[in-house]
Amino acid sequence: MVAGGTGREVRSRARLVVERDERGDSVVRELRSQAPLTLVPRRPRTGTSRQAVVHLVGSASSPLGGDDLALHVSVAPGARLSLRGIAAALALPGHGPGASRGSIRIEVADGGIVEYLPEPTVVTERADHRAELSVRLEEHARVRCRETLVLGRSGEPPGRLRTDLELERGGRRLLRNGLDIGDPSLGASHGYLGGARVLATESVVWDRDPEAPVSAREWTLMPLAAGGSLITVLAGDTITAGRCLERARAAHPAGAEFSEQ
Amino acid sequence: MDEEARVPEPAGAEPGGSLSVLALADARLPGGGHAHSGGLEEAVHRGVVGNADQLREFLRGRLHGAGSQAAAFAAAAAHAGERGAGKDYWSRWDYELDARTPSPAQRAASRAQGRGTARAGRAAWPCAALEELLAATGSPHHPAVVGVLIGARSLGTPKDAAAVVAYLAVSGPASAAVRLLGLDPFAANAAVAAFERDTERIARRAASTAGSRPEDLPAAGAPALDLLAQAHQRHHEEEVRLFAS
Repeated sequence: MVAGGTGREVRSRARLVVERDERGDSVVRELRSQAPLTLVPRRPRTGTSRQAVVHLVGSASSPLGGDDLALHVSVAPGARLSLRGIAAALALPGHGPGASRGSIRIEVADGGIVEYLPEPTVVTERADHRAELSVRLEEHARVRCRETLVLGRSGEPPGRLRTDLELERGGRRLLRNGLDIGDPSLGASHGYLGGARVLATESVVWDRDPEAPVSAREWTLMPLAAGGSLITVLAGDTITAGRCLERARAAHPAGAEFSEQ
Repeated sequence: MDEEARVPEPAGAEPGGSLSVLALADARLPGGGHAHSGGLEEAVHRGVVGNADQLREFLRGRLHGAGSQAAAFAAAAAHAGERGAGKDYWSRWDYELDARTPSPAQRAASRAQGRGTARAGRAAWPCAALEELLAATGSPHHPAVVGVLIGARSLGTPKDAAAVVAYLAVSGPASAAVRLLGLDPFAANAAVAAFERDTERIARRAASTAGSRPEDLPAAGAPALDLLAQAHQRHHEEEVRLFAS
């Protein structure tokens, strides 16, 4: 709770552990939800499940100012998890003072795969939010993380948002990305955000990387210096952004192995 | 009394104004900076920068994103150069700036200018620290070279190194705009001068983190610049472009 707040700020800690059982299925071993972060595992349709699918629900009204939400995901050797969103999240002005904060930590052991595919976050006009994503992979783990930011609701400029992304494999940092949103003159600058309404990124660390960058006007797939790659899209709306992400994924040599969504 | 004797010897590096700091920020430094437009050529090609107001808007983003990140790394390099940091530090520094530069085109442009500046530096300000940096990284990033020369040769402070790099982040594209758009050179220069206070703030902030471990230095992305840099690289291979980046 933030000192001097109204007492309604939420401090939430959720945890998810996925393992591979003796039959080779990926199963949810531990699942601790805490409102407003609710994790709902999807029942496997057939008897087997090579990948566990878990939905992140109930965060539609969060984060709010002053809230502090944290999710810790751990995937054991050989297990596969697809963590998906259900509805867009709104970063709204809070019931308490101070910035809201959402932090997600993902750890993946050798042979494990995590695909974190949340729905877009809408940065509303009076939002003051900080989003942190930290991914730690063992040497032979794979990950794909998406982030879609909608800069303000229709006809509205975005509030303040700071995002931080940290990606490590085998103790070596592959990507450290930080971005500040909310200064209108920077948002309009073609040397910064180019006046785009939607920013979408996907960081991918797989068992192979694109040999060279591939780009079009609105998107680019960039191989990182120490391994892995980053897709960046700037678009006018989420549908176009989604289409650009799809094209960029198709240009990735492992694109066919990614889960559909 | 001899004229020379009345001018007191400077007690180490004083902030700003040393001839060498000015030379490192000078577009005429033979470091190859003139070959780079910092994404501006692609922005002009797309029709999003065509006049002085649009140039100023472009420069603002360039300064606060890519420029401030480079400034933080330059200040850290100057701080490390002063203290004789070894190979281990320089490879970590190099690794961390790479991790904060997702665009391969921007990494290449930074290293190309680093190589050029290192050549100029070897001739003008030779020092062991520069050789250490070159041995550790092969082809160092531009802010590393500027920082190490300023720090190791006591030419200035970490803040000076940050200011040089921040200034070059906008002055390069501004002079490219004159060549690409036939923009009034006075207007282009005024667009750069308008960032006096921003640059000062950025350099101060960079100096305040100069002693941090490379892993803890700030990260400031600029997605639109990444897209421009990558598109420029693609077009540069396919058609004739004036600038390398």
